[in-house]
Amino acid sequence: MIEEDRNFTAELAVIGTGLAGFAASIFALKRDIKTAQIGNTGAVAYTTGYLDLLGSLSPDYPSSIEDPWQGIEQLKDSHPGHPLCRIPKTDIFTAFEQFTSFLGECGITYTPPEKSNIRVLTPAGTLKPTLCVPSTMKVGSTAFSQKEPCVIIDFKGLKGFSSRQVVANLKDKWPKLSSRRVEFPDMASGEIYPEVMARSLEVPATREKLAKILVEAAEDAKIIGLPAILGMHTPDLVREKMEQLTGLQIFEIPTMPPSVPGIRLREMFEQLLPQKGVILIPQQKVDKLVFIEDGAQLSLSDSFGPITIHSKSVILATGRFLSGGLEASIDGVSEPLLNLPVTQPASRRKWYREKYTDYRGHSVNSAGIEVDSSFRPLDSRGQPYSKNLFAAGVILAHQDWIRGRCGAGVAIATAYKAVEEVEKLLT
Amino acid sequence: MTETTIPIINFKEKAEELLPEGASFEACLTCGLCSSGCPASGIENMDPRKFIRMAMLGMDKELSTSKWVWACTQCKRCQHVCPMSIDVSQLVFLARSNWPQEKKPAGIVRSCQLIQSTDSTSAMGLPPEDFVFVVQDVLEEVRELQPEFKNLQAPMDKKGAHFFVNQNSREPMSEPDEMVPLWKIFDIVGADWTYSSRAWAAENFCMFSGNEEAWREVIQKRVDAVNELGCEVWLNTECGHSYYTMWNGINRFGMEADFKLESLVTYYARWIREGKLPVNSDWNRKNIIFTVQDPCMIVRKAYGESIAEDMRFVTKSLVGEENFIDMQPNRSANYCCGGGGGFLQAGMTEHRRTYGKRKFDQIAATGASYVLTPCHNCHSQMEDIGHHYGGNYGVVHFWTLICLSLGILGENERTYLGPDLLECI
Amino acid sequence: MTQKPKEQRIETEVLIIGAGVTGAGIMRDLALRGVQSLLIDRKDLCAGASGGNHGLLHSGSRYISSDLHSAIECREESTILKHVASQCIEETGGLFVAVEGDDPGFAENFAALCQPAGIACDQISCADAKKLEPLLSDRLFKAYRVPDATIDPFRLALLNVAHAQMLNNSSFRPHTEILLFTVKDGKIESATCRDNRTNTTLTIYAKQYINAGGAWAMNIAQLAGCKDVSLLYSKGTLLVSHDRLTTHVINRLRPPGDGDILVPGGTVSVLGTTSIRVDDLETVKPTVAEIDINVREGAAMIPTLAAARYIRAFSGVRPLLQSAGGSDDREATRGFALLDHSTQNLSNFSTITGGKLTTYRLMAEKTCDLVAERLNNSEPCQTHITPLPDEESCKWTEPGASPKYWYKANDPEDMILCECEMVPQSAIDEIVKDAPGAEKEMTLKAIALRSRAGKGPCQGSFCGIRIASYLYDQGHYHDTTGLIHMRDFFNERFKGTRTVTWGLQAAQMELAEALHCGLLGLDNINDD
Ligand SMILES: Cc1cc2nc3c(=O)[nH]c(=O)nc-3n(C[C@H](O)[C@H](O)[C@H](O)COP(=O)(O)OP(=O)(O)OC[C@H]3O[C@@H](n4cnc5c(N)ncnc54)[C@H](O)[C@@H]3O)c2cc1C
Ligand SMILES: Cc1cc2nc3c(=O)[nH]c(=O)nc-3n(C[C@H](O)[C@H](O)[C@H](O)COP(=O)(O)OP(=O)(O)OC[C@H]3O[C@@H](n4cnc5c(N)ncnc54)[C@H](O)[C@@H]3O)c2cc1C
Ligand code: SF4
Ligand code: SF4
Ligand code: SF4
Repeated sequence: MIEEDRNFTAELAVIGTGLAGFAASIFALKRDIKTAQIGNTGAVAYTTGYLDLLGSLSPDYPSSIEDPWQGIEQLKDSHPGHPLCRIPKTDIFTAFEQFTSFLGECGITYTPPEKSNIRVLTPAGTLKPTLCVPSTMKVGSTAFSQKEPCVIIDFKGLKGFSSRQVVANLKDKWPKLSSRRVEFPDMASGEIYPEVMARSLEVPATREKLAKILVEAAEDAKIIGLPAILGMHTPDLVREKMEQLTGLQIFEIPTMPPSVPGIRLREMFEQLLPQKGVILIPQQKVDKLVFIEDGAQLSLSDSFGPITIHSKSVILATGRFLSGGLEASIDGVSEPLLNLPVTQPASRRKWYREKYTDYRGHSVNSAGIEVDSSFRPLDSRGQPYSKNLFAAGVILAHQDWIRGRCGAGVAIATAYKAVEEVEKLLT
Repeated sequence: MTETTIPIINFKEKAEELLPEGASFEACLTCGLCSSGCPASGIENMDPRKFIRMAMLGMDKELSTSKWVWACTQCKRCQHVCPMSIDVSQLVFLARSNWPQEKKPAGIVRSCQLIQSTDSTSAMGLPPEDFVFVVQDVLEEVRELQPEFKNLQAPMDKKGAHFFVNQNSREPMSEPDEMVPLWKIFDIVGADWTYSSRAWAAENFCMFSGNEEAWREVIQKRVDAVNELGCEVWLNTECGHSYYTMWNGINRFGMEADFKLESLVTYYARWIREGKLPVNSDWNRKNIIFTVQDPCMIVRKAYGESIAEDMRFVTKSLVGEENFIDMQPNRSANYCCGGGGGFLQAGMTEHRRTYGKRKFDQIAATGASYVLTPCHNCHSQMEDIGHHYGGNYGVVHFWTLICLSLGILGENERTYLGPDLLECI
Repeated sequence: MTQKPKEQRIETEVLIIGAGVTGAGIMRDLALRGVQSLLIDRKDLCAGASGGNHGLLHSGSRYISSDLHSAIECREESTILKHVASQCIEETGGLFVAVEGDDPGFAENFAALCQPAGIACDQISCADAKKLEPLLSDRLFKAYRVPDATIDPFRLALLNVAHAQMLNNSSFRPHTEILLFTVKDGKIESATCRDNRTNTTLTIYAKQYINAGGAWAMNIAQLAGCKDVSLLYSKGTLLVSHDRLTTHVINRLRPPGDGDILVPGGTVSVLGTTSIRVDDLETVKPTVAEIDINVREGAAMIPTLAAARYIRAFSGVRPLLQSAGGSDDREATRGFALLDHSTQNLSNFSTITGGKLTTYRLMAEKTCDLVAERLNNSEPCQTHITPLPDEESCKWTEPGASPKYWYKANDPEDMILCECEMVPQSAIDEIVKDAPGAEKEMTLKAIALRSRAGKGPCQGSFCGIRIASYLYDQGHYHDTTGLIHMRDFFNERFKGTRTVTWGLQAAQMELAEALHCGLLGLDNINDD
């Protein structure tokens, strides 16, 4: 069978479609850099939608922090190598602003970055500090801080989200919180997934049916909380319509995977970035990356066959173990695409502490690749691997985004920085 | 008479043979993304994650006999959303192959048998001579009734033609006038094309029936027919799975094929861009809204984004940018309509409609009056779920709309137009 | 001021200390003789070696070179158990295989050694062995078949307790730790215990006291002032693979050593074991070095073990009876010791320790013979002839069984909470209601012990959340202690994954941690 070659050229190739990769493409668009992006489903598919900057100063301090900007200052003393310490705070702020306003333009409005963290709800009824919150989730934190009467509603058939659990764990702090269980319209029997509910709430008829049920369940309360199901593609609109139909204020609480917020973000990026001119090859991984004179050549294949991309610069934003940016073997941690050296604990014995939930975190989580001040990955001699290669996101060493509650922060801030450096290179 | 039983497959062992290196069911994180986005979840109390887990837990008997394998359309959406790229459809295919012929859903088996029964490879068993006759008959009628097409051609077995054009049997068999718009389009762009009296049919239910040997045979006949006529391009018309079964089959069975496989949609786009198909949306004065259904068989499972982009370009050119609304999710992330994988032929109506409910919701969410799709299965399924769930949208082929836009849609070629579209003519 | 809790007092005919398989077996044996008992454990059922072993129902062949007596005992006992406890046993058969580098002399002699023990042992060709087990190394040079089998100790213990509870008013109390014995006139008068969940003390009065404390037997005996139990401890570490790799038990055909047995455990395979002398029983846990040795040695028999996905590791302690000499602890006697403590001037205290899972029934029989005699009960032992009855709430520990029940019931409303092992809601309902040791606000750990929940590749990271929320739904949990149960459960599971988190398991772990700590903040909750 006769096949055609598929070749693309770009000024920047972003490897990875996590938060860092998508943020990089957005920042590149802002700077008119012609971008190609490749990546598979990764950690972002599981995310809550909350965009954290810095929520904890572990290992120095067990509980969460109020002011992430002040926190970064403290981090500079304790963890000077932390990626967030290597980027001016004003740039981090701009990065969050640009990122969230892009999302807002695309139908997922976020609260802008502020001076301090917001405390948001989790499906277990605990609280979590974060910087920017989707507008569909925002009312939850204000209702909590003002202790307003509120009903958390869950659905028969939805596993892993129990309104009674949320209430049981918050009732001391929020006495006027109560719980209710209802049936989702036309899904009375068997298991239901948040994704299915969210998609069906994109249909006006479903919204009308659900609104009636919610009004009844709310009784006297004026505010209700739901698992994150308010639409997939147009969450702002779905919430607005639901509020109109019910006369209630409604907010969402993220659920455990498989959950809606991550899918929302991913589908939105996958749709809008190509419309805005990014060459996006979704759901694939780069098999080979070589640097040639003045640029790089990326090889991959999709179900249709091989694809080659030529690009002047590359941002490596391939994440950690979950996404495949790093690999852990019985002998140690490695970076599979370029075999970049990985800073890591001396032996596997040191990877994990004895106690899983030790607030100080596990040292393997701070393993990662090293970069120079321009965010160029370093080779084994400590020299930039290539002048055309940059890195962003949680693949970077010296951060533990899980304990630090800084996943989006590291991803967005470093993407901003890397794109800035790409632009310098290109001009 | 003893009842035949379904033999038991060792899924774990087979999975090791089937999957490419690096991809393994062992890699499953049990995160559930696959099941969450699979319309077959819940049918027969199964879903893709359960299928994988049951395979790993050695529940071979249950999996070998589960009717669910006929409800999974093998659309590969689960693989698309999986961080580990795990492909359940391969196990489903394996399970289907394993069912004794007489236990498989009769409709799919019959369709495959009919395909094998004639040189046409038609799932409706239409023999070559009848096909030739129908084409000739319809052609003469058009030439007679539509004077502006008195020289219309429908070449048959023309050696060395550039395009070898296939045809879904449904048209010659039950709605022959639906072939005419396509001919007119070829006429307008001046395409050098031919039908073949042999292996002209598009559909291939042998793959869905899990009969690999029959699948191979059908593809072989088709490849031979193209090679014999010496055509450069096997042009797949508006039928999703025919492309996939041919393309995938040629690779899978390592066949010699000295031609390209192409989808008509990409040519629509090309001809419009080149000005050869001077369509426009002026006719759509009433701003009738259209959406498109991406057939998984040519988008996610084959071409990927490029053909999805072409489809949108063609649609927007035809109906006006402002009158196009995308279904969500779309392109490679689309949901199967629920007609694929032989589901339409399998006789499991209730399950098929349960599956299709998600597609129905997606169509309803667009608020569009029409769905355009270059796939016969999608077409039939979306019509059916529309009726069943009380939707008020129509489903149209691209060729119909192209001819409508060009003002050349004949009286008999308007079956799928609602009153609103008819008014636009 | 905190109020002093009211002293709790319990009376029973026999107090059994230690709810491993031995204690559970004694409880049932006594009940079958009409004797009522109370079984206690400081943690829970199978919290000791009974929950940390290889699950191999020994044919005896493993011991023919070192301990003929034990070999014969195993042969006899495994035959009995295959009849009376068949629901806990999978007759997998076993292979002994030698690979290049192993001593050919030992390999040659093997069948001859098995003969005097009466163990059926057939040599098969290497080609046939590979046909039976395709994953075996190409460097195989000798293979034998033996009647090894596997046994589920959790179900075994649960069923023993359940049967005893059904027979008379014998009962089981988890998290009840013996603190001291009050001895008077050559008799133990009472046992003072602490309820480790509520931190309250209780006093138990019994006619007879049985110490079935396994490796802890020496400590327990000392509480009664007995100096006649002298134990050394040998720790063994094992790894669990993601899925089942072989159908048979695979033994390395050489004198016992590290990583030389691979035992199928229903849907997984268990590789082990190492043997290391330890002094402290409380800090026993797998180490990276032990894991690496097991993997390396195991891979010599079955090369894919080097690349397999492991989901868990665990350790158990074998009590070594001091009388046994020898340098290798594996060669120490696998026999058991029953002490009547008459030399210690006690007439109502006995200790049973050592032995094997395979011989638990015999150990219980011998102990009960002694205790019955002391109670002037002349009923004979029945456990070798009376089949162990099944009980609904105990069926959930069998690997791969839960999805079968669920699939057959075909009830879409009975949702799967543990997706890896496919444990449905109904299983959780049954366990919190009826399983031995069920109680108010049962912990996730206790539920998991009585089912397969949390045993799959995600190691509880998803199902822990789902089950907790289900228990909140059902009103079983109603305040923040549910969060503590969740956290404790994840911490417990982590002990098992800590040393085997590499490869795919590292991806799984990252996802888990992101959820548990990044989202739910379980690294940041206070206990009070
Ligand atoms: C359960 C969960 C909850 C979370 N909750 C929050 C939250 O509440 N707040 C918050 O701020 N953050 C949260 N995060 C983290 C956040 O989603 C980001 O994933 C994280 O910050 C990492 O971003 P990243 O882009 O660097 O890496 P990833 O998101 O891991 O993305 C890496 C990408 O690289 C791709 N890739 C890898 N190898 C290749 C290759 N060879 N070729 C092409 N592509 C490749 C992967 O497919 C993936 O798309 C959560 C994450 C998880 C898992
Ligand atoms: C690594 C390893 C692998 C093994 N593999 C096999 C095998 O494959 N086949 C086989 O047949 N045998 C095997 N064995 C041996 C077998 O596991 C043991 O012989 C058997 O489980 C012992 O059971 P037990 O009830 O006597 O002791 P245990 O199961 O150890 O029970 C003792 C109980 O006493 C409790 N306890 C301790 N102190 C107190 C106190 N103060 N108050 C109250 N309770 C207390 C503990 O919590 C514990 O639950 C293995 C052993 C190990 C260590
Ligand atoms: S999406 Fe992939 S990893 Fe997740 S459960 Fe499905 S197959 Fe497993
Ligand atoms: S192939 Fe499609 S229908 Fe089948 S399991 Fe995957 S997503 Fe579901
Ligand atoms: S019928 Fe259409 S949507 Fe369904 S599988 Fe086929 S191509 Fe996909």
